[in-house]
Amino acid sequence: MYLYSLTLQQATGILCAINGSFSGGKSQEIVVARGKVLDLLRPDDNGKLQSLLSVEIFGAIRSLSQFRLTGAQKDYIVVGSDSGRIVILEYNKEKNTFAKIHQETFGKSGCRRIVPGQYLAIDPKGRAVMIGACEKQKLVYVLNRDTAARLTISSPLEAHKSHTIVYSICGVDCGFDNPIFAAIELDYGEADQDPTGQAANEAQKHLTFYELDLGLNHVSRKWSEQVDNGANLLVTVPGGGDGPSGVLVCAENFVIYKNQGHPDVRAVIPRREDLPAERGVLIVSAAMHKQKSMFFFLLQTEYGDIFKVMLDHDNDRVKELKIKYFDTIPVTSSLCVLKSGFLFAASEFGNHALYQFQAIGDDPDVEASSDTLMETEEGFQPVFFQPRKLKNLVRIDQVESLMPMMDMKVINLFEEETPQIFSLCGRGPRSSLRILRPGLAISEMAVSQLPGVPSAVWTVKKNVNDEFDAYIVVSFPNATLVLSIGETVEEVSDSGFLDTTPSLAVSLIGDDSLMQVHPSGIRHIREDGRVNEWRTPGKRTIVKVGSNRLQVVIALSGGELIYFEVDMTGQLMEVEKHEMSGDVACLDIAPVPEGRRRSRFLAVGSYDNTIRILSLDPDDFQASVGGEDGADHPASLFLNAGLQNGVLFRTVVDMVTGQLSDARSRFLGLRAPKLFSIIVRGRRAMLCLSSRPWLGYIHQGHFLLTPLSYETLEYAASFSSDQCAEGVVAVAGDALRVFTIERLGETFNETAIPLRAEEREAAKKECFEAAGMGENGNAEQMENGGDDEDNNDPLSDEQYGYPKAESGRWVSCIRVLDPRSTETTCLLELQDNEAAFSICTVNFHDKEYGTLLAVGTAKGLQFWPKRSFEAGYIHIYRFKEDGRVLELLHKTQVEGVPLALCQFQGRLLAGIGPVLRLYDLGKRRLLRKCENKLFPNTITSIHTYRDRIYVGDMQESFHYCKYRRDENQLYIFADDTVPRWLTASHHIDFDTMAGADKFGNVYFVRLPQDVSDEIEEDPTGGKIKWEHGKLNGAPNKVEEIVQYHIGDVVTCLHKASLIPGGGECIIYGTVMGSLGALLSFTSRDDVDFFSHLEMHMRQEHPPLCGRDHMAYRSSYFPVKDVIDGDLCEQFPTLPMDLQRKIADELDRTPGEILKKLEEIRNKII
Amino acid sequence: MSVFGGDSWAREAQCRKRRVDDLLVEGIDASAYKKLPNGKFTCLVCPHNPILDTPLSLSMHGKGSRHRAAESRRKERELWRQEELSKRLALSNCVTSTSSSNVSYQQCKRGGKPLIERTRKAASEIFSYEIIEQRNKCRKPDAESVISSCLYGQSIERKEGPVEMMVARKEVVVDQVQQLDYRERRERELQFTAAGWKRDCHGRWFKDENVEFDSDEEDPNVVLNDK
Repeated sequence: MYLYSLTLQQATGILCAINGSFSGGKSQEIVVARGKVLDLLRPDDNGKLQSLLSVEIFGAIRSLSQFRLTGAQKDYIVVGSDSGRIVILEYNKEKNTFAKIHQETFGKSGCRRIVPGQYLAIDPKGRAVMIGACEKQKLVYVLNRDTAARLTISSPLEAHKSHTIVYSICGVDCGFDNPIFAAIELDYGEADQDPTGQAANEAQKHLTFYELDLGLNHVSRKWSEQVDNGANLLVTVPGGGDGPSGVLVCAENFVIYKNQGHPDVRAVIPRREDLPAERGVLIVSAAMHKQKSMFFFLLQTEYGDIFKVMLDHDNDRVKELKIKYFDTIPVTSSLCVLKSGFLFAASEFGNHALYQFQAIGDDPDVEASSDTLMETEEGFQPVFFQPRKLKNLVRIDQVESLMPMMDMKVINLFEEETPQIFSLCGRGPRSSLRILRPGLAISEMAVSQLPGVPSAVWTVKKNVNDEFDAYIVVSFPNATLVLSIGETVEEVSDSGFLDTTPSLAVSLIGDDSLMQVHPSGIRHIREDGRVNEWRTPGKRTIVKVGSNRLQVVIALSGGELIYFEVDMTGQLMEVEKHEMSGDVACLDIAPVPEGRRRSRFLAVGSYDNTIRILSLDPDDFQASVGGEDGADHPASLFLNAGLQNGVLFRTVVDMVTGQLSDARSRFLGLRAPKLFSIIVRGRRAMLCLSSRPWLGYIHQGHFLLTPLSYETLEYAASFSSDQCAEGVVAVAGDALRVFTIERLGETFNETAIPLRAEEREAAKKECFEAAGMGENGNAEQMENGGDDEDNNDPLSDEQYGYPKAESGRWVSCIRVLDPRSTETTCLLELQDNEAAFSICTVNFHDKEYGTLLAVGTAKGLQFWPKRSFEAGYIHIYRFKEDGRVLELLHKTQVEGVPLALCQFQGRLLAGIGPVLRLYDLGKRRLLRKCENKLFPNTITSIHTYRDRIYVGDMQESFHYCKYRRDENQLYIFADDTVPRWLTASHHIDFDTMAGADKFGNVYFVRLPQDVSDEIEEDPTGGKIKWEHGKLNGAPNKVEEIVQYHIGDVVTCLHKASLIPGGGECIIYGTVMGSLGALLSFTSRDDVDFFSHLEMHMRQEHPPLCGRDHMAYRSSYFPVKDVIDGDLCEQFPTLPMDLQRKIADELDRTPGEILKKLEEIRNKII
Repeated sequence: MSVFGGDSWAREAQCRKRRVDDLLVEGIDASAYKKLPNGKFTCLVCPHNPILDTPLSLSMHGKGSRHRAAESRRKERELWRQEELSKRLALSNCVTSTSSSNVSYQQCKRGGKPLIERTRKAASEIFSYEIIEQRNKCRKPDAESVISSCLYGQSIERKEGPVEMMVARKEVVVDQVQQLDYRERRERELQFTAAGWKRDCHGRWFKDENVEFDSDEEDPNVVLNDK
């Protein structure tokens, strides 16, 4: 089995973010690392975050930093990754790519404890960079400029210290003195040697300054001093004339200013009033903002509160450190203060947000200061505050994030063309159920009813230079309605358009006159109100029109073409006539190229299944130059044709000869597509209306054809007014609809349903069952977490988080949700510190209740210091009121935590710790019927097929079991040889299982055919009973047939087909919120082609951050039989000569390769 | 750029090497080796298919004595096969004309198993004739006979006349009832074992001590003996 792996939606979570001016000049951009993807974002003029560039680097990005050489206008990006190399990137504005300036190898690849890459620190003057590991190693590179003003990098200078753990590093701003780097370090050398543990208790963190002597080219430890043992983060303080220099040390409950030869200045971090006393306050992210005259810091705590920190200083002496409550936003992994007055908050979980500063916290508020710090016998006196609504910040945009995706089901509950993906995302108060549909999101601006059923709609400007459209013209079967666009949209009669006849086309002609084409003629309305009318000869009527700004071609019934041009005076002049062999099905003229008087080509589609390209040049008028089949619409270089059978046909038109080449087709829907040219983000795009609308557009250099999540439309036109700059106006039924298209470049659009799921400890397992029941599909899911108080706060929990309880408390509920109305029909709270961990629907045989819901729970579960719990239960609920409400039937205590439940032959299989047990339904409780205790660790997943049971163990991969009815026994007959830490699993076929482990690998295991046959053909069952494996294993072993490193923890696997009538593929969701698919190849030729393409891509286009592609995909186990589609899809981003070179080696043209890539993508989505 | 691209000599050297490799490989018959996906080569002539890292070593291997020997053996075999093929072709013609001659028999024996082949052929002819005949007969009598043949697992001999048919039908019905009864009983027993009942050496049912039961569960000793 060969698989093609393709990421459908890139990771949405953000691990770290930096801001700067990467394209040079005044613009402000944000670079974010999303695990293995590097993204460049920029807030546009409207305050919307736009993604400019997204590059997969085939490696794990662990740290990012930006620097600027003195006097330069542009920031560079330094990336610390798992490649064992330091990489410096520059953003190339013209090509819209990241260019690799330097790549220096310093160690082994992979995330290791002593190989640098985890921490990055930059000298604030851009003279040096330090890259550090979690332990021991730190390297300093000197950055400089050569004579041609290019960036140079030195060989590394070592600042190692063995037996040292590093918590944080940062550069110290000391002007143009020798660069200094600060680090919080812990020496564990003594603690390691001392068996009594006393030294470990007395271990002390130190703040160490490392000085890079530029003259001697050497790094030395300059200064080291004890620091609070809770210290976790360092922040650079401006120096060299702008400030006092030194660092802020963020520790538990305190912020301390430290510098060499300066006494500590310490202030306490204010606490929320309702915070239990034993909980500390830690700073998790920080940002510094510096202006000419002042600077301040924004520090965010683990509860989401942001504090503004100010230093009152007199040259180098810091007099006072003030910490003032600023605002509360969801907890971030990085904060970026942009010079343009925005704050980008890259959320740890859930949606990211862009805020605008309303104020910088100058108003009085709760403030802690180093001056007022009081020390008593119990320690320092705390300062309290109450969170309040946003005062200094206002949110202007948010970027959706699915991180962390906990579970997913692909099911067609809404009976749409394609199934929906129901995913459980987020954590704690920001949890949500998100419904993902393939397609672009649209936002509807207006819907208005019309007096009849319209057949077409157009928008026209009054003048070429107008920014906005002036009229919407709607054509009915026997009339035309003209609406003027202003403050409101209203009907007008003074527009000059003929309203007693249907229209065939309405457009702007020349610079400032309007044209209306109706069946019996052309009406040309000049700017001053004069009307020229051209009538059709005899009784013939106009059937089709094609026009651009300066040319008009009409087709009369019978197949005559008449060609008009706008002359110098703005008159519409008849130029030529041409007789076609039969009626014309459709025609179009390419837009006029910049600086020309006419477009050279006219495309005519006839009912004899041909498209002809006719030349409009005056000297060789209408010589037929090409032939193809279908109906049409040219977009720049391409001729797109919608065929009667619902296929969109796209060919390239040669700009000189008009030859058609490189034809591609795609099935869009059951109706013949109609094509319209619209404007999206300032570029021409194509809207295709079939049984659903599709948009063809260029995104980051790729042509994408994506469905829109909207109903069937009849006719559309682009729309622009001052309320809606780039919209679409369309007719469907008897309504006129105006909408805009959003979030271009994304594969899925989502509907989010917030859940009241709160969570405290790690290990949260949300399970989710979507079962179609009767007419209305219901989804049941449960979520759990820790929190013990009811929240009567008017502030939303989503923003402020839940009030914190002491550790070890759980809150959990079972919710029945109607996905159609997104309304919760039943919500059962679990009492007594109980939390749900597994769920399944079960039909017990010969019992009267029908479908029941089984929920596995644990009471008082604790993971630390030792995993313990008070009790485990299995609840059985029955559905009432058509599946809307749950009623508890009974509750059975079990001796472990039931982490997996599954229906099996009319009974319930439960994985309770290491025991697999079969339960039957009794009157008062579940009845234990059969069990097998031979599983190695903890059962986390159960799948069944016929009489086979596929059990996933937490640490030891899959075990294949069989239930024998005649003996009432469960036997394990096969297991895996590799100890996989299973996170997700899915049943593929009788002998095959797909699994994912916590290191980011996806793998398939299969029982060999002969073994499988032997087991099935064991009539007496003696063999299976008495056969024993070696070393307590099962007698048979499964074989690994597919292995692939995804690079992200896969939390859910599902088998589904995302396109109507398409083949099934494996869909996976990851913790970082990405979705991907694995499609199996159907022909050997494709496998050969793609493996060769992958091989060439590996060679010619090594990953950006220096990790070897093959090594990355084989990080834990060698990659087997999977082709990386993400790498193959980078082919179009290569320079043209490289593309041609690869194509030559594959004996194809680049166009054919692109077509192949497009084809296989279209098989998946 | 420090490592990538530029005008380093490495690429040129690589190209030169590739060209040399191509030239080396060109001289070897394409059917005699195969390029593996990992870029290595395997010799298809030698019986143990040695893996060779480079085209150079492949060409060296091609000159080795073992390879030569294998090659000549292969050619020999090819020739022999060709010969055999032509012989067989000739034979297949002669078999149809002369039923069996000593020579042809011996020849055939070496190649395939002509006797078995012939038996099979004859049997298939007979069977196919029978099936046709059966179909002709079966058209009148109803479905029972088909069922019965299924039940006994063999085709029963059929005699002409309505009387025998009637007798046969009765037997079938009785047998079917018994069989169904047995199956039902077996199913019930299985249900009880699955529910956790066990049998002692006297065939009596008792409860497995590791299994839980409902208070009003049916006792198989009672239920099954009643029937």
